Amino acid sequence: MTERVKRQLKLLNDRTYRKLRHAPEQDPETVILQWDKQTEAGEAARFAYACFCEKEAVFHGEDLFGFNRYCSGALPEKGRFGNIVIDYDTVLAKGLCGILEDVDARRPTADAKARAYYDAIAVCYNATFGLVDMYEKAAREAGNLRLADALLRVPRRGARDYYEALIMLRFLSYILRLCRCVHLPLGRFDRYMRPYYDASVAAGASEAELLELTELFFIAMNFDTDLYIGIQKGDNGQSLVLGGCDKQGNEVFGPLSEICLQASEELALIDPKINLRVNKNTPLSLYERGTKLTKQGLGFPQYSNDDIAIPFLTSLGYDLEDARDYAMAACWEFIVSGNGADIPNRNSFDYPKVIEKATREALPGAESFEAFLEAVGVAIERECDALIAHCNARPATVPEVLISSFVSPTIERGRDISGGGAKYNNYGLHGAGLSTAADALAAIRECVFERKYCTKEELLAALEADFVGYESLQRKLLDCPKMGNNDDRADRLGCYLMQRYSSYLNGKPNNRGGIYRAGTGSAMVYITHAAAVGATADGRRAGAPFASSYSPSPDARLRGPLSNIQSFTKFDLRKICNGGPFTIEIHDTVFRNDEGERKVAQLVKTYIDLGGHQIQINAINRDRLLDAQAHPENYPNLIVRVWGWSGYFTELDTVYQNHIIKRMEFTV
Amino acid sequence: MKLTGRIFSIEEFATFDGPGIRMTVFFKGCPLRCSWCHNPESQRSEVEYARSPNGCLNCGSCLRAAVRDAKGDLHLTAASAEACPRRLVRRCGEDFTVAALCARIMANAAILRSTGGGVTFSGGEPFAQADFLFSCLQALRGEVHTAIQTCGYTDREKFAKGLSLCDYMLYDLKLIDPAQHRKYCGTDNAGILENYRALAASGKPFVTRIPLIPGVTDTVENLSAIASFVEKQGVDYVELLPYNRMAGSKYVGLLRPFAPGFDEKRAVEPHTEIFEKHGIRAKKM
Repeated sequence: MTERVKRQLKLLNDRTYRKLRHAPEQDPETVILQWDKQTEAGEAARFAYACFCEKEAVFHGEDLFGFNRYCSGALPEKGRFGNIVIDYDTVLAKGLCGILEDVDARRPTADAKARAYYDAIAVCYNATFGLVDMYEKAAREAGNLRLADALLRVPRRGARDYYEALIMLRFLSYILRLCRCVHLPLGRFDRYMRPYYDASVAAGASEAELLELTELFFIAMNFDTDLYIGIQKGDNGQSLVLGGCDKQGNEVFGPLSEICLQASEELALIDPKINLRVNKNTPLSLYERGTKLTKQGLGFPQYSNDDIAIPFLTSLGYDLEDARDYAMAACWEFIVSGNGADIPNRNSFDYPKVIEKATREALPGAESFEAFLEAVGVAIERECDALIAHCNARPATVPEVLISSFVSPTIERGRDISGGGAKYNNYGLHGAGLSTAADALAAIRECVFERKYCTKEELLAALEADFVGYESLQRKLLDCPKMGNNDDRADRLGCYLMQRYSSYLNGKPNNRGGIYRAGTGSAMVYITHAAAVGATADGRRAGAPFASSYSPSPDARLRGPLSNIQSFTKFDLRKICNGGPFTIEIHDTVFRNDEGERKVAQLVKTYIDLGGHQIQINAINRDRLLDAQAHPENYPNLIVRVWGWSGYFTELDTVYQNHIIKRMEFTV
Repeated sequence: MKLTGRIFSIEEFATFDGPGIRMTVFFKGCPLRCSWCHNPESQRSEVEYARSPNGCLNCGSCLRAAVRDAKGDLHLTAASAEACPRRLVRRCGEDFTVAALCARIMANAAILRSTGGGVTFSGGEPFAQADFLFSCLQALRGEVHTAIQTCGYTDREKFAKGLSLCDYMLYDLKLIDPAQHRKYCGTDNAGILENYRALAASGKPFVTRIPLIPGVTDTVENLSAIASFVEKQGVDYVELLPYNRMAGSKYVGLLRPFAPGFDEKRAVEPHTEIFEKHGIRAKKM
């Protein structure tokens, strides 16, 4: 890390830069209400006003990129279309004027709707040029001639080298966020930036210079993130994908990918959030490289398996070359690059909700477990129908001019993404609480039908009472087979649930000419929706959380990670790949030497080689441990590795827990 | 009657118990009574029950179901586990047949093999259940890589047989002085040193591990004695495992006092230079 990078990092981490902001003269929201939100012109006017409020150029320290916020107002996510990977290839190559030339060429033959879209694009772009000129002038006055000179070229015209391309990315992030597109993933950075990186190398830039540029850019991505709020702070969507194959199937991972990994490891900042695309031929060394990031305790990289994601996408009608160019949405949804307007988090299918209802309604009359299981399968289909009806009844018609102009083929079609201008217009549904539901079915089979610990009526009464007065039955339910222990008695039921859900939902038409895709994610609903689900037959009490995404229930005591990864690779995940990672926690002391790091890398590779779709690993962090102290019942499987022995964290004395927590303050 | 072994824990992702991804199977029962033992539930061969202090409601349910032994010591019981409303009392000690334990290991065999790992039999002391250990090693031969982690306290014939059946050994050396060994570990160490000589002469791959206990094993005298002893056996690499102050926490759960007999708070001294003088590479773990 150079001294310059260190100074910028310190400036960022001090957070004093935020004091430079100004309150806008008038609340943009009240101004915006004067325009009709339902038209392209109104949308463009809203955006132009937001640009107008940014009165002066703001530079932080030895800023090489500019485009920082002048106004202090937070800009929360606006509409339905977050999570879009824009067509970076085209924008970086053509520049905004190049896009306007395309627009002008099409204008004479365009219909009225298209002309309204084109006019709105011109208004938006002209507003941004005002900002560019403001920054050019300010940079020149401040003596930052490198930036000033570059701004005479980009973003109006295409980038010629790595630095100009990075300025364009910073600019795009700034303007799109002013337009309240908060969840703005960076897509396949090492693929689309490679030509500009190569151009800089050819022009004589050293690797050290390019690393420094990358680090300064990553730092810049962390400025102002407090103003862009998703569901939670930090949920700002700046995911970045490295590796994987290009549209022709060739490996992308290269020197620029290495630089990104090194930058991320050295900076240890939350943005950008690194995703690594891997496949069955990925060497262990790349996983080892990734594990060095995991060790930082940041919760990434997340790994995605090309061998699973690409066949899933093609099976749903994506063209092979688009499927090969997939990237990550803000979190983990698999979306294509540059020409998609999918909404991959349209809603959530919650398995436990279905099980809760089916247990109450279908269990009393079920003559056998198989009959009950079939009733559950039908209930899954009815829930899908209800979700589809709900989503299809709510069209997304508010125009999205600025971001649409960076998505193809909206300009060719003369329609923005809300009007069908993109190539792909699909919806994804999450699949939350799978392990809770599978465990509940396993417990019903075991306790009611096989061992007959209780009658159906007793079980229903216990669930109704939230187990109050039924503690010994609850204990029996908790001791039944659990998904995550490589035990077919639970795992096969999980497979059954996924099969019924995904085979029914995948390909069902939505209201935008697209289809539905089934996933394994939970977003925040494992807390929010779980609160409304009553007691379940796995022994979970009413309102208690499900697992996050594709993981064992928090109530399950587990054998360990080897059984766990086998449980979660039994199903053919190529059928259910909207997104939602297998999540595993590993104590950070495992990472204390090369040997431990290599073994974590081997574990990740094993999950991928067994057909896993997506995995994220947490080096256990301090906040989690503090929460575990307050609520030990939620953390029965939190293992702490201490020198040569392991124990359950919640079984240690408080004084010893505090010791670990204290030590972890110094880990990252 | 079928041969069974008593196991107190099976860990699936043991990262410091030998090469590759390993499962570690912890045998219950140990002939030594090291005062610093961090797995007190590993010492006795009887089934025991341990409670976790966190989340405990102090309702007394588990203690009402506890029993006193002849010496007057209190022990939690199966009824304590049943009585705890928070499921915080855990049974330590499950009896496995050879087939059942090997099936559990073989369920992960493909992963263990593909990562160059295997299974490590640890404890407690695996040689304290020698027949069961040998049967497991025989059953797993040619299937997965096997390792034994031992204190070395077992008779010569058993040791030789175990050594011939496993692929790798992790061998603890604690104290060279017999009187000190008796004082801190409860037994003589002549047999331990003799088995170590046999191990070093066998040609079997192994690693020597030395726990660093403040004021007990990390003294200049003891580490020098260990260094010259292993050097004589032609060994050029050892691993040093520093004492960790968390050792005491598990005693509380077993309703036992923790009296380590040394100053826990004192920092350990690895003295790697002592080993270097003998031409031995010492790695602090």
